[in-house]
Amino acid sequence: MRQVTPTTKQFPVTDTVDFVVVGSGPAGGIMAQELSEAGYSVVVLEQGGWACFGHEQDYNKDEFLQRYPDEANTLQSNSPLRPNTFRRTDKDKAVPGNHSYGMCVGGGGVTYGGSSWRHLPYEFNELTTFKGDIPSGTGIADWPITYEEIEPYYVKAEWDLGICGPNTKQDLLPMPMMYPMSKPYPVGPQAEKSSGALFKIAAKKLGLHTSPNVCAIITQPYQGRAACNNCSWCSGYGCQIKARSCSPVVHFPRALKTGRCEIRVHSYAYEVAVNDAGRVTGVRYFDSQKQQVFQRARAVVVSANAGESARLLLLSKSKLFPNGLANSSGLVGKYLMTGNGGGATGWVDHPMGEYKGAVTGVAILDYVPNDPKRGFYGGGRMTARGQSNPISWGLSGGPDSPRWGAGYKKGLLQWVDRRITCTNFITQQPLITNYVDLDPDLKDGWGLPAMRITTQSHPNDITAIDWFQKKSVEILQAAGCNRIEPLGPPANQDTRGGSHNRGTCRMGNDPKTSVLNRYLRAHDVPNLWVVDASCFVTTGRNHPTMTIQACAYWAAEHLIKDAKGGALKT
Amino acid sequence: MTKREGSRRKFLFNSATGLGSVWLATHWPAILSAQQGAKLEFFTAEQATEIDAIAAQIIPTDSTPGAREAHCLNFIDHFLAGYGKSQQAGYTKGLQDLQAEVTKQFPGAARFSALTSEQQIKVLTAIEKTPFFMQIRTDTITGMFADPKHLGNYNQVGWKLIGFNASNTFPYANKPPLGYYDAVPS
Repeated sequence: MRQVTPTTKQFPVTDTVDFVVVGSGPAGGIMAQELSEAGYSVVVLEQGGWACFGHEQDYNKDEFLQRYPDEANTLQSNSPLRPNTFRRTDKDKAVPGNHSYGMCVGGGGVTYGGSSWRHLPYEFNELTTFKGDIPSGTGIADWPITYEEIEPYYVKAEWDLGICGPNTKQDLLPMPMMYPMSKPYPVGPQAEKSSGALFKIAAKKLGLHTSPNVCAIITQPYQGRAACNNCSWCSGYGCQIKARSCSPVVHFPRALKTGRCEIRVHSYAYEVAVNDAGRVTGVRYFDSQKQQVFQRARAVVVSANAGESARLLLLSKSKLFPNGLANSSGLVGKYLMTGNGGGATGWVDHPMGEYKGAVTGVAILDYVPNDPKRGFYGGGRMTARGQSNPISWGLSGGPDSPRWGAGYKKGLLQWVDRRITCTNFITQQPLITNYVDLDPDLKDGWGLPAMRITTQSHPNDITAIDWFQKKSVEILQAAGCNRIEPLGPPANQDTRGGSHNRGTCRMGNDPKTSVLNRYLRAHDVPNLWVVDASCFVTTGRNHPTMTIQACAYWAAEHLIKDAKGGALKT
Repeated sequence: MTKREGSRRKFLFNSATGLGSVWLATHWPAILSAQQGAKLEFFTAEQATEIDAIAAQIIPTDSTPGAREAHCLNFIDHFLAGYGKSQQAGYTKGLQDLQAEVTKQFPGAARFSALTSEQQIKVLTAIEKTPFFMQIRTDTITGMFADPKHLGNYNQVGWKLIGFNASNTFPYANKPPLGYYDAVPS
């Protein structure tokens, strides 16, 4: 495959640019677009490579080659050079971890399934609203912003990106299952798929409500991009036709068009530098040759994902900040929320065609709101899925089938493409005992301390997983499935990291109990912002991306107001 | 076919007479296939015949194609010469261990591919928990269902077997309804 190296404006390293943005994922792209369109010079440091930026038709759609990606198709962080460790509690010894995330221009946005639900209005002031129901020992707090304040930014994100979802009166379920929308989704929903049709059968029997999926995939031509063609390789693969709405096909083309934005790939930030006056002065990073480079800037936005952003702050020790930059609260890295779900699988008699198109059919929303009568605090969104690809199907074979031979072949042909999963996304209590920090022993390929993840869910959340798994079984039974099984013991569904990480630099009004203020600016540092899921106070019942994006637009608007008011002057 | 190849086949045919036509049905295609597929990059011709026979038991040919028709042998051979280089030693040793198991169970049998199908299944069952068998199972199945450009899944027989429509065409690769259940009027 031809090697393509996109070129962008290049600032001399000795220049002081207005902004360095660390990370080019869903948040970094929005910051780069908004800041450069507002007239500021922006250098984006991306630790991964270009992926197929500018030549998306070259994204790999080959299941076998996914395991052996070339440079242009290296889209994930998992590599021996980037190890991490994991332990449940600080009494346990940390062992090698599996944490990984999207790492390339566009970050996880390049390959993700695209689920783009908003947070519900009542998630922004949970402590105030549900005080009596909240279990003891959790770190639940109100967000320092309300749904009313952030709603216009959800709209901006949805329309800039092109998000599909229920955009008719009958499709949009009412509160408290869905959120009020001042403007509908710009394009209508995806096909329901067989998984969705089966969910609808179950919902009818059980008196439940389904909603079309909300997703960052355009279902009609939008802003010069083609509509999704329901190809046979979606989630986990880059989109060759740019139908998946993400920063490389939406925000970076706009940013680069201004002539004020540079993307530097294979640039691994290891320190945000700060002067004696407590202002950041730029970012130190390893370039593609592992040379140390210092890019000066008037302000810094860290958008390296929840986990890596905190790690960068912890690596940035100085006289003023011996415990890590912006860490006077001691909370950098704390209140990590990895996100839980659990679920169940069932089998049906006819082929579902589930490998075609996007990964999620429809969602059952009845259990999104809290209901203490269920025996736990929190709620969850239940989604219809079943997507897999041929090699994966071949290797797993049919249920209860021999592993090879005539019996294997019989089982495979009888059951292939006939598996539905109910995949859940449920709330997880923020705990101060769940955090990322710097591993004291393990170093990465650049000699920097590896990320250590310490996480174990509150017992309330294990109860929630168990409840949702039993409910998943009930739904699949009502759908007419056979051989139904929950995913596994609830305690085993307690996640260990991954691309849905949230928290670690929580936002709040009080610098003693939060890292970022309500505009995602570090309390301690007047020209430092952390804009990604690090700011999250609570998890939500969904993947974090849409709320990351809304918070980024919100942060960008206020940051630009500050900058125009003189905040960048030293 | 050259005169030399003709006499080789006659010799094999004659030496197999005592074992009956089942042997022929099992092995004739292997002999042909090993000569029909892509040029070998790692295996010797002898090794290729054995690998082909193992693969043919992992995904048998019945009324529908199996690993043999999909040229899984060529996928594995090409894989070991490329992305799977680190597995080469494991395969070489695995084939030697397989031979030892064959001799153990059927003293006098020349090689795995010379056994009857029933006998082959017995031998593979004895080694099915070994790392070598688990590896060749993985590689055979991968070869069955990988993109044909990797030399398996010949003519998409693997994909056709499981009804996989490998499409990314425009404007529709797959037009809704996408499967059985969303096609049923609700």
